Amino acid sequence: MTALVRYLLVDVLRTQRWLPPLLVHFAVLGMLYASDAGPPLPAYAGTCVLVYPVSVWLTVVIGTAEDPVRRTVTVVTAGGWARAQAAVTALSVLAALGLALIAALAPVVTQPRPYPPGTVAQGFAALAVCALVGVGVGVLCSRPVITQTGWSVLAATALVALVFLFGRTPPVGNVLWSLSHDDGVTSALTLSGVLAVLFVAGATWLGTAVGPRRG
Amino acid sequence: MVRLDRIGKRYGRGPWVLRDVSLTVERGEVVVLRGGNGSGKSTLLRVAAGVTAPSAGLVRRGASVGYVPERFPTGVKLSARDYLRHLADVRGVPVRWDLVEALGFVGEPTAPMATLSKGNTQKIALAQALHATDLLVLDEPWSGLDAAAAGALTDLVASSEAAVVLTDHHGHDVPGAREVALGAVAQGGVVIELDSVGEAFALISSLEGVSAARAVGGGARVEVRAGFSDGVLAEALRLGCSVRSVRS
Repeated sequence: MTALVRYLLVDVLRTQRWLPPLLVHFAVLGMLYASDAGPPLPAYAGTCVLVYPVSVWLTVVIGTAEDPVRRTVTVVTAGGWARAQAAVTALSVLAALGLALIAALAPVVTQPRPYPPGTVAQGFAALAVCALVGVGVGVLCSRPVITQTGWSVLAATALVALVFLFGRTPPVGNVLWSLSHDDGVTSALTLSGVLAVLFVAGATWLGTAVGPRRG
Repeated sequence: MVRLDRIGKRYGRGPWVLRDVSLTVERGEVVVLRGGNGSGKSTLLRVAAGVTAPSAGLVRRGASVGYVPERFPTGVKLSARDYLRHLADVRGVPVRWDLVEALGFVGEPTAPMATLSKGNTQKIALAQALHATDLLVLDEPWSGLDAAAAGALTDLVASSEAAVVLTDHHGHDVPGAREVALGAVAQGGVVIELDSVGEAFALISSLEGVSAARAVGGGARVEVRAGFSDGVLAEALRLGCSVRSVRS
């Protein structure tokens, strides 16, 4: 599995398609933290709103770096769709957690306010939950579940927007609300963390089930 | 080894692409699938390789499988060396650059695969699959290869320890291969390619058993119904033509 993840990583790095989402990530973080961003937790809520769609985008980039035919070769070499899908998810989770870590540490370096380790840890946990939900959405919106780029973009946009429309609904809305109001952060994170992990696992399973039917 | 037991395949509610196909290929055995366009050869190969799940029936195969798709994609940014090394790592076996050399690869191993010619890309695609030890699934493996590489591939396929299933439109003969027909197979015609035909073209195209004849440069491409090929060949030679190839 490590070799497979490494192969996907090297391959996606060569495409340079990872650059746009990463640039957006850094640019928006730069804008948010250029001046005083206010109290730490509400500021983290702002970056959660950023990390979620960027994770979706990066996951789609990772999931579609190989074209469909080369993916079939990879699937056969790896020993089945399940392993290939699991590797795509694993790499996407690593990348998304990287985004979350950058977003969690950015204010520590740039902000004049104190960012105690406990707050940073809470911020990272919230960012990680949103990033994981992003991975799940990204897996659902890329091959083999959605095979056409147009539908993929539409579905990803719709799923991202949907989460923000429904206010305090888990797994993202409740985290944003609790961070903004500094109320029940831990319980919101626990619930959403469990949901996010289940969501990512479910999306990966769906890819594994759909791949061989379409393949 | 691969064992296909009464395989059926359809996409969604579409027509059956394959129906009730059974095929067993043991280790060291080579099976060539025959059949016209759209007879389901590629689909059967994808089912055998595990890319596609059959809609009906059972598949059992060994763990180490190699697959060469009909058209390996162009535009791969990885270099040939990196691609092979990573895929060998995924298999957990040492990379065998000797396979690439045996196939006569002449490209730049460290340049992006997108810059390679079709033939050289095909050699890399074949080399990654030939790392497999249980089952080789090759869709039109000779396409794009020159004569030397084609011969080398034939040797590699014939001497492989794995079970081999392949399709081929070019009439390559693998020693000891078993032929399996899929769907309606074109009635055993023979294609004869002739050189220095010249004036004799009209005579040859009117010979008994010739179903189609086409002048190609100074030569001709003659399609002959089964059973008449020897007579047509003898007459062509008598008329002073030179035989370039005979394929069934």
